[in-house]
Parts: sequence; C-alpha cells; structure tokens
Amino acid sequence: MRALPALTGFALLAAMAAPAALGQVTPVSPESPNAEGIKSSYLFVSIFVVAIFLLVEGLLIAFIVRYRRQRRQRFEDGAQIHGATNLELAWTAFPVVVLFLVAAFVFVELPDITDAPAAGPAGDDGIEIRVIGRQFYWQFEYPNGAISIDTMRAPAGVPVHLEVTAPESDVIHSWWIPALGGKIDTIPGVVNDTWFEAENPGLYRGQCAELCGLEHARMLGAVEVLPAPDFAAWVEERRAGQPAGSTDLGGELWAGVCAKCHGLAGEGGIAKALAGSALLADPQAVETIVRNGRVTRRGTMPAVGSGWTAEQIDALTAYLRESPPGGQ
Amino acid sequence: MASRAEATPTWHDGRIASWLVTTDHKRIGILYIGTSVVFLVLAGLMGLAIRLQLAQANADVLSPERYNELVTIHGTSMVFLVGVPILAGFGNFLVPLMIGARDVAFPRLNALSYWLFLFGGLVLMGSFFASGGAAQAGWTSYPPLSEQTPGNGQDLWILSLHILTASSIAGAINFLVTIHNLRTPGMTWTRMPLFVWSIYVFAWLLMAVLPVLSAGITMILLDRGLEIGPWDVQTDFFNPQDGGSALLYQHAFWFFGHPEVYVIVLPAFGIISEVLPVFARKPVFGYKAIAFSTVAIGFFSMLVWAHHMFTVGLPYSLQTYFMIASMIIAVPTGMKIFNWLATLWRGNLAFDTPMLYAIGFLSLFVIGGLTGIYLAAFPIDWQVHDTYFVVAHFHYTLLGGVVFAIFAGLFYWWPKMFGRKLDERLGKWQFWILFIGFNVTFMPQHFLGLDGMPRRIYTYSREDWETWNLTSTVGSWIMAVAFLLFVWNVLKSRKGPRVGNDPWHADTLEWYTTSPPPPHNFDEVPYVTSARPLYDLRRRLREKEGARAL
Repeated sequence: MRALPALTGFALLAAMAAPAALGQVTPVSPESPNAEGIKSSYLFVSIFVVAIFLLVEGLLIAFIVRYRRQRRQRFEDGAQIHGATNLELAWTAFPVVVLFLVAAFVFVELPDITDAPAAGPAGDDGIEIRVIGRQFYWQFEYPNGAISIDTMRAPAGVPVHLEVTAPESDVIHSWWIPALGGKIDTIPGVVNDTWFEAENPGLYRGQCAELCGLEHARMLGAVEVLPAPDFAAWVEERRAGQPAGSTDLGGELWAGVCAKCHGLAGEGGIAKALAGSALLADPQAVETIVRNGRVTRRGTMPAVGSGWTAEQIDALTAYLRESPPGGQ
Repeated sequence: MASRAEATPTWHDGRIASWLVTTDHKRIGILYIGTSVVFLVLAGLMGLAIRLQLAQANADVLSPERYNELVTIHGTSMVFLVGVPILAGFGNFLVPLMIGARDVAFPRLNALSYWLFLFGGLVLMGSFFASGGAAQAGWTSYPPLSEQTPGNGQDLWILSLHILTASSIAGAINFLVTIHNLRTPGMTWTRMPLFVWSIYVFAWLLMAVLPVLSAGITMILLDRGLEIGPWDVQTDFFNPQDGGSALLYQHAFWFFGHPEVYVIVLPAFGIISEVLPVFARKPVFGYKAIAFSTVAIGFFSMLVWAHHMFTVGLPYSLQTYFMIASMIIAVPTGMKIFNWLATLWRGNLAFDTPMLYAIGFLSLFVIGGLTGIYLAAFPIDWQVHDTYFVVAHFHYTLLGGVVFAIFAGLFYWWPKMFGRKLDERLGKWQFWILFIGFNVTFMPQHFLGLDGMPRRIYTYSREDWETWNLTSTVGSWIMAVAFLLFVWNVLKSRKGPRVGNDPWHADTLEWYTTSPPPPHNFDEVPYVTSARPLYDLRRRLREKEGARAL
C-alpha cells in the first residue's frame, strides 16, 4: 500500500506518454528540403522538450511520494524554507541556455528552409507557379498560361517557386502541403512566396489551413509530382487544350469550384441541387452567375469565377455540355 | 448609522432582491463565479457538439454554418465569459479579504462591472437567434471573412465584446485602486498574497490591451457598414479592394489576444501559489521571484503578439524577433514552475482535493508550456500553425492549466464563500475522471495536428484520422461526467457540514474572519508583519501556550 502513490504516479506518466508510441509525434515524412529542415528543427527541440518534461514530472512524482504526510500530523509544519537565491539563479539561467540553443539551431537550419536552391540536382532551373486561394478552391497558374484547379502538377527534382496570393475580393486562406514544407497564407492584396523541391514523384495532399468560410473543410489541395518530362508534356497539353475549351480543365473547375457546394453529381449540398437544371446548359447564364455570384433569400453565392479568363469559362461550359452532372 | 439603515428600502432585503442590488464584493464575486460556471456549461456543451461532429469522417451531425457558429461562440465564451470573469470573480471575492479591506474601492462600479458582464454574455448567447445566426468567423474573427458574413451575428459579437470590455475596464480600475489604497496596515507590497499580485498584473494588462481590441473590432463594425439615422457609414480599413489592409486587424487583435491569454493564466498561477504552500505546510518557495515573474510575464506578453502570425509572410527579421521575445516568456514561467516544485520539497503534503487540482495543474501546464516552444520556433510553427496541435497546446494551458487551477480555487475557498466544504470524496473522483478525460481528449489532438489536420474544419474525409478523433470525442464525454459530478457536489454541499474560520490552517487574511465573512469582512484586522499573517498568529498563540505551560 505504501508504494501505491508511486505506482499511481508512474502509471499516470506512462498513460500520458504511451499514446506517443502509437500516434504521430513528428511532422509527416518530408519530401522536400524545406520540410526536412523543419522536421530536424522539430526533432532538435524535442530533445529538450522530452528532457524537461521528464525532469519536471519526475520531480513532481518524486516529491509527492517522498514528502507525503504518512504518519505526521495533519497540520505539522514542513521545512520552513523561504527560498534560495542560488537555486533561483540556476533555474533562471537553465531555460536561457536551452532557449539559446533552440534559437541557434533554428538560425542554422533557417537558410535550408527559406532559400530554394538555384537549380535542381540535375541542373534544372526552377519554375514559378502562381497559387491563388479562393473560396473554396486552389487555382494554379503555370508559366505558359496553363491552369489547373486543386491539384498542382509539378516536376520532380526541380525547385518550384510559388507565388501565393488571393484576389482582393476574397478572404484569407493558407497554402499547406505538409510533406512539402510549412504553410503560408494567401492574403487578399498581398503576394507571399514559398517553394519546394520534391525528390520523388507522387501525390502529396494538404488542405487550406485558415478558416475561410462554410466549405473551408472541403478546400483540399494536392501536388502531383511528375517526372520532369511527364510534367513538361502535361503542362504543354493543358495549355494547348485550353483555347478550345479543355474539358480536363472544365472537369477540374466543376469538381473544385462548383461541386463543393452543389455536389459532384449536382445533387446539392450546402447550396441547391443543380442536376437537370436548364441553367447548366446555357453558357451565357453560367458565365453570368459564376462571374458575379448571386444573393438570394436562401443565401449568398460568392462570385467564384470573378477574374476568370474566357478560356476558363469555356472549359467549364464545354464540360457541362459534354458531361452534364447527374446525367441528362 | 440608524438614518442610513432607514434610507434603504425594505425590498432590498429580499432573498433574491438583496443579490440584485448588492454592492458587497463577496456577493458580486459569487455572482461572477456562478454566472461564469453557467457559461462554462453552455460553452462546454458546444465543445461536446463539436467533438460529436468530428468523431467520424464525413459526419453530418452539424451543418457547416452551425459548426462554424459553435466554434466561434465556444472560443469567444470560454475566453470572455468564462476565463476572465471567473477569475475576476475570485479576485472580487478574495482581494479585499486578502488585503484586510472592508470592500473594493468603488463598490457600485463593481456591481456595474458584473451586470455589464452578464448583459454582454446574454448578447453573445442571444446572437444564435439573430438573422443569419451567430458569428461564424472564429473567436479571432479575421477580416475579410468577418466582414463578408451576412446577417447580424458578427455585429452582435462585436457589441457583446464592447460591453464585456467596458465591464473589464471598470473592474480593472477597481482592482488597481483597491490594491494601491486599501491594504491593511503592515501589508507592504512584498507581504501581499501572490494571488493579489496576479490580480494586480491582470488588471494592468486589461487596461493596456483591451482598448486595442475595441479599436480593431470597431473598424470591422464600420467596414461592415453602419446606418445611424441619416448617416450611412461604410469604411474600408481592412478591405483591400479599396486600399485597406486585410492584415492590419491581426496585429490589433493579437496585441490584445496574446496578453489576454496571460490575463487568464496569471490569476490561475496566483491560485496555485496560494494553494500549494497550505497543503505542503510550507511558505511558498521564492515569494519575490514568483511576484517578479508575474510582472515580467505581464510585461513581455505585450511584446510577442506576431507569434500568432508567423504564416502571414512577415520578414524573417521580424519573425526572429517575435520568436526570441516569445521564448523569453518561458524564463519567468519556468521560474514559477521550479518555485512551485521547490514548495513541495521537504513539505508535509496533504492530498485534499484543492491540492490534487493544483498538482494536476502543474503536470498539465508543463505540457502546454513545452509544446509552446515548438510554436515559438517559427519554422516549426509554419508546419503546426492552425492545426490541431495548436488546439491541443492551448487546451493544455487553458483547460489543463486554468480550469484545473479554478477547481483548486473552488474547492479551497468554497468553505470561505459558503461556510461549508464541498464533499472531498466526490471531489477526488471528479479530479481523477477529469484528469483522465482531459488527457484522452487532448493528447491525441497533437498527433492529428502533426499529421496535417487543420483546426476549424467541420469535417474530414481521411479515414486514418478517425481513430484519434473518436478517442478525443470519448475523452470529452469522460470530462462531461466530471463536470456533472461537480454540479452534484455543489448541490450536495448545501447540506454539508459547517466549517470554522480556517479549515485548512491557511496563511492569508481571508481565513481570519468567519466563514462566510460578515458584510463588513473584519471586526478587526491583525497588524501584518509578513506574507503569512495567520501563520504568524498561530505561532504566537503556540508560543503563548508554551509559556503558560511552563
């Protein structure tokens, strides 16, 4: 029985620490040097965090066990110690040293995190892609004028510079693909930048990280990293198809811009059902409503397509014509 | 005196009316605490609803509108209707008693503070019934989103915060004047209870930062458009389409918002500094260091606001400054934690419910503090900012920290407030259930955040996030059981055994008078010669008895 408080203490410490063995205790596996720099900073900080955690909780449990009342009187005095200057100095200096080390490590890592390499491992120059956050989709604009929605395509082994912004009429979003680095806000009227250089082809997912309205939770984003030649082919094909009303882009626009509120098959969601609506077959009406939005008694449809190019409108209407959501 | 008594209408003596017209700081303190507990229950139910929605992927317990409303009002009420006022309530009840005063400096202003608080709270809760529902832009209410949501919820949110701000400013002035002027003879600044120190800094912080919040939310109100009689006001402070800055508000909000965290945390620290020594039967270790660290935390808290804004694209030089400034706060906080630990060292520890909660506070607040280091290191923050990691972090500081301290305070001072103890057995059950439920709820949220789950999303489709989300939801039900036990304990305590003036053999002046104290608090106050006047009294008494025995 005398060991009971100690056992309880250790059991609790174990109960608090045990999930650490099962759960995700570090950021997701990095696929880009900036995400790697962040993860190594995280691990470095963790050394001190775990050490201080064990020190404080250990002392707490030790004192609870050692100095519990046992057979003493209820109100018998403990040792009447008012303080100790040397101890105060020690535990003021100790955190200063720890924090100095943490800050120093961050400074050492910082250039790897913030500065994109001038060229990829194979000597490829970087490319620049514009990321535009909008309620509730991501629009990516490539150097040749190609556009994609919600899924960015990027070449592997090439530094990809991102210019990140939002239209002045929109709200703040935050661009974040965990495996490819930290997040950066897309702020109306502000242009931010970030970068990544993905080593391996693959699909890396993320989502908007700043509350941006009703469908914030559905504002998913992804980067599909392709081998460099495949990327070059894709971006050319997308560009070439756009003037003719690319249905690839049209499909992305429907799924990314319209479907999050109206449902993928037009079955309705937070906004009304569109399946079978005559409006979808009328390109003029579609253009008017996506460019200007609409305020009704039931709610507001934002001007999701304000600032779209004619090619984007054509892509959407072409898609709606060829594969109307919910069938005919 | 007789003529004054006649001047009071007799209806003022009614059982309910006497509470409505009271200017007694003790009654106002109890009103504050009681009202805050009601809001705590309401905001807690909102939290339960949020957890219910997130228990499974693609759930539709709540619509996105309802979810965003609940997220916004849960956060806003926990800060403005629970955290600040419940501690203001403790301050109200305790500060005059602890410094040997008869009441606060301005008793009527004090009553006004309380009624404004209640009114502001009703406005916020009532905003659910406004056209378009309650505010939906989060407790931070960033524009442009907060300026684009239709309906009146956001406007009522602003109105409510303005009312609560007026209440807090009046309360803060009252605390400052009281502490400066009404200390009993002998109570110098360094003999003041540490809880009073914490309320002193709490009041200064409120005075310093609330006006900035008021400015920020007034600009949102004007940007949203305001029709007053013939005037139609429409500004563009935060509207980039007409030259405004969408970012400016965030600076104003966090200049207020970060110190606000310490407004809530410092009095909780104060409670811990009162409870630990009494149950360790020792003086608090390093009184001056703890008092000084309280002031230091208050001061530095006003210099760190943009660590909430590391992802907005500030220059790296600024981010570096805000990282270092934020880390500096860890130093005085660390001082407190080590001093508290040293207070336990070589003590005669008794584990009554207040002590359990104080120790629970220590063990959980440390976790919240340590995860703060990750958030202060800005490149790491770029990963974890606005994820469930942050949600877990601030719940460890505010729920694991502050709410545990509040329970320590409630169990400790309940006998002084009502003359009866809360049931110890129920209290201990409640503690263990809450401790376990809390960790089950919030520990997994760290993992979710690191795995990429952002905060404030009403749903998710990743099925691998389901396990920890479900765990977290189950934890929230365990916590609900603990809160129900507390309610039961309160009801039960009405028939609990009476206690004397000083059931814990404590050190500070509030235990010198009766439980509950008379309206005028003290018949006489002993001359104070140290930070532990009652300990001194008991010692002198023992010495006298010893002398008599000889």
